This record gives sequence, structure tokens and C-alpha cells, in this order.
Amino acid sequence: MLDYSILIEHWDMYMQGFANTLKASVLALIGSLAIGTVMAVFRIAPIRALNWIGAAYVEFIRNIPLILIVFVFFVGLPAIGIRFDSFTAGTLGLTVYTAAFIAEVIRAGILAVPKGQMEAARSSGLTYLQAMWHVILPQAVKIVIPPMGNQFINLVKNSSVLGVIAGLDLMYFGDLISSETFVTFDVYIFVALFYLLLTIPLSLGVGALERRLAKSR
Amino acid sequence: MIYFHQLNKHYGDFHVLKDINLTIKQGEVVVIIGPSGSGKSTLVRCINRLETITSGELIVDGVKVNDKNTDINKLRRNIGMVFQNFNLYPHKTVLQNITLAPMKVLGVSEQEAKETAMYYLEKVGIPDKANAYPTALSGGQQQRVAIARGLAMKPKIMLFDEPTSALDPETIGEVLDVMKTLAREGMTMVVVTHEMGFAREVADRIVFMDQGRILEEAPPEQFFANPREERARLFLSRILNH
Ligand SMILES: Nc1ncnc2c1ncn2[C@@H]1O[C@H](COP(=O)(O)OP(=O)(O)OP(=O)(O)O)[C@@H](O)[C@H]1O
Ligand SMILES: [Mg+2]
Repeated sequence: MLDYSILIEHWDMYMQGFANTLKASVLALIGSLAIGTVMAVFRIAPIRALNWIGAAYVEFIRNIPLILIVFVFFVGLPAIGIRFDSFTAGTLGLTVYTAAFIAEVIRAGILAVPKGQMEAARSSGLTYLQAMWHVILPQAVKIVIPPMGNQFINLVKNSSVLGVIAGLDLMYFGDLISSETFVTFDVYIFVALFYLLLTIPLSLGVGALERRLAKSR
Repeated sequence: MIYFHQLNKHYGDFHVLKDINLTIKQGEVVVIIGPSGSGKSTLVRCINRLETITSGELIVDGVKVNDKNTDINKLRRNIGMVFQNFNLYPHKTVLQNITLAPMKVLGVSEQEAKETAMYYLEKVGIPDKANAYPTALSGGQQQRVAIARGLAMKPKIMLFDEPTSALDPETIGEVLDVMKTLAREGMTMVVVTHEMGFAREVADRIVFMDQGRILEEAPPEQFFANPREERARLFLSRILNH
């Protein structure tokens, strides 16, 4: 039987951790969607230099561990005078890391839109960016919703990296409570439940969205 | 209006357009025919630079299409294009399909764009479909929307690449009728098609292509009655016996 007194006594800490995990996830989600979209378009745009930048970003970032990227923001940049608090450093690291995966998802989505769509849009005089924005991306979004949902769930789970650098997230407070109470199992079970509180609705939401869009076609 | 001079195009090693010389005057309707793979689509797509050229000259509406300083988006405003597969935007309604470019490219107000769109939807005979999504329309209706979308930019030239090839036989007529009206109204048109009835009726000139070359260029009466080229004769006998 779980020891609920731990949960009750440390409710404030759990809540603070939960709030910060939620906050880091939402911020990183918005940031990584923006960077990921830009990098995906870079990789596909008919400009060599941009293709190269996009490819370099994706290949570099997604092939190194998340924690190293977080360390860049936590100890690397401060060494040259750019300082962040640990929450910010963790969230930035998470954003930059997730953006590489999102870029690949969006790129696949863009490539899945039939070529004729871009041709029709461009032949009507729209610029490349206008065609991307008004014609291609809205169609790509529908295609990428399922894989994007997976990336968002990974993002929430990966936010636990903040715990390593004292980023005041769920994991951090879990560690703290555990070292105060000398209880491990129960403490982390509650931590896990709070993660599920974020990931399960996310997963259900993506599924619902997918079904709605499938119908609207 | 459109002037090709010694134009060549390669895909890698493959020489797809060979020494193309062709002049199309304002208001002319030119129908391009020829066997599959002869370069008809490529030729038409050069006109609005959907394809780039390897050498030679191509001037459209007084502008060198492939010149570095050419504002291609500006040139494309004046050239409507209709594709075999319609290429309507599936996430937009018929009306939104038609108003997008006028609003974003020409900068007209939404109100004005809608009015123009409705005018052309009336013209192609489907004003009642304005708020439908493309997937709810038949092929013939979709292609008529695509034509209205092109016309809404008030272009000087309309390009058609096999506009009826993807259609059920019973809806081909409605699309051809719209095209005939356009031709009668003096639109400059370049049409790739296998519809020989249409070619005979509305073309000012037939251009016959084979293996990347223009083999013959003649008024339809002359071309259909008595093609000069053996290959054209062969092609006609094959297509007319179908
Ligand atoms: N992107 C490409 N890369 C290489 N070869 C190509 C490409 N596009 C077309 N081709 C080749 O160029 C030739 C001409 O193609 P094009 O589409 O212009 O022919 P077409 O006359 O329109 O034929 P169809 O009647 O089948 O539409 C064909 O042999 C085709 O295989
Ligand atoms: Mg073709």
C-alpha cells in the first residue's frame, strides 16, 4: 500500500514541481515547434546554404545526449558570461533538443504534401514563403499530428532532465522529498503519477484531434 | 506575347527540349499535341518557369523569363495555369482557393477578392459551390474551379496542361466549354491536350512535338487534313482511331 502521508505532507513541493514541469514543457513545446518549423523549411527550401544549416542543426543536435545540450546552457554559456537560472537553462536545452526531432517530423510532413500543391501556389504568383505558410504547412500539420504527439510526450518525459541541474521540476522535488524522508519507492510513484497526469491527457488529446481531422477530410 | 528562340533544356544527360522556336501572339490559342514523353508539359512549364532552361531565349510578356533580374512572382501574376490533377488546395473552400492569390499577391481586399471570385464562379457555372471543399466536387467541377482560380488573377495568358485527362468522359465537355468561351473572348492560351475536337474547333495553330522537337506547326484545318510530317500522321491515326 502506498504511503499517502508523503503526498499530503509534501503536497506543496509536488505541486511546485508539477507546475514547473508543466511550464517547462509548454515553453519548450512552443519554442521547439517554432525552431523545428524553421529548420524543416530550411532543409527543404530551394537555397543551398539554408539546406545545409537545417541539416547540420538536425544531425548535430539529435545525435548528442540531451543532458549535454542542457549542460551547454547551464555551464557552457555561463563560462563565457551568458548566465541563466537552472530552470531557464534546462528549458532552453530541452527546446533546442526537441526542435531537431520536430524538424524531422515536419519535414516528412511537408514532403508528403503532393508536389502539385507547391506548383499551383507558386504559379499563381505567391512567394515561396507565402506558399509554404498558406498552402503547404496547413496540409503538413494534418499529416504530422500522430508523430508530433509522440514528440510532445517525449518532451514532457525529457523535461525530467531539469532535475539534474536543480531546475525545480517534478524530478527535482522528487529527489528532494526522497532525501528528506528516506523513502524512495512511494515518493517516485507519486512523481510518476504526476507525469501521467500530463502525458495521458496529451495522448488522448492527440488521438481526438487525429480523429476529428480524419473526419473533416 | 510568348517567344521561344533556340531553347534547349536538359534533365541531367537527357535532352528533353531541342532547339525550340515558337512565337505565340496575343489572343492566340495554340494547342500542343504529341506522344507521351515528347516534352509537351516541360515546354509549357518553361513559360512560367516551373522548369528552368539550359540555353536559348524565352520572352514572355516582354520579360526574359530566365533572366537573373526578373521578378518571377510578378511575371507569374499574368500567367494562369491549369493542371491535369487540378491541384486545388484541399484545406480551403472553393472561394478561399480562388481568393488566396488575389489577396496575397495583388493585395486586393477580401471583399473585392470574393466578388471577383464569385464573378468567375458564375462564369464557369458553379457559383453554388463557393463554400464547398474541393473533395466534395466532381472532377469536372474541380477543374472549373481551378480555371476560375487562374482567371481571378486577371492573367494575360492561360496555360493548360492536359486539363481533361483526369476527368470522367461525361465531365470533359463542361470543362472544354469553359475553355472555348475563354478562347472566344480573346485569351492567349497554350493548351496541351488530346482532345482533337477541341483543337480543331478553337486552335489558331497546332504545334506537334515529338522527342523534344517541334516537328510541325500549322493551322488546324491544314494540320488535320494533311499533316506534313510522317510522325504526325502516325500520331493522328493512332489517336483518332481510339
Ligand atoms: N524531373 C525530371 N527528371 C528527369 N526527366 C524528366 C523529368 N520530368 C520529365 N522528364 C522526362 O522528360 C520527358 C518529357 O516529359 P514531359 O512530361 O514534358 O512529356 P509530355 O509530352 O508532357 O508527356 P505526357 O503526354 O506523358 O504528359 C519524358 O521523357 C520524361 O520522362
Ligand atoms: Mg505531360
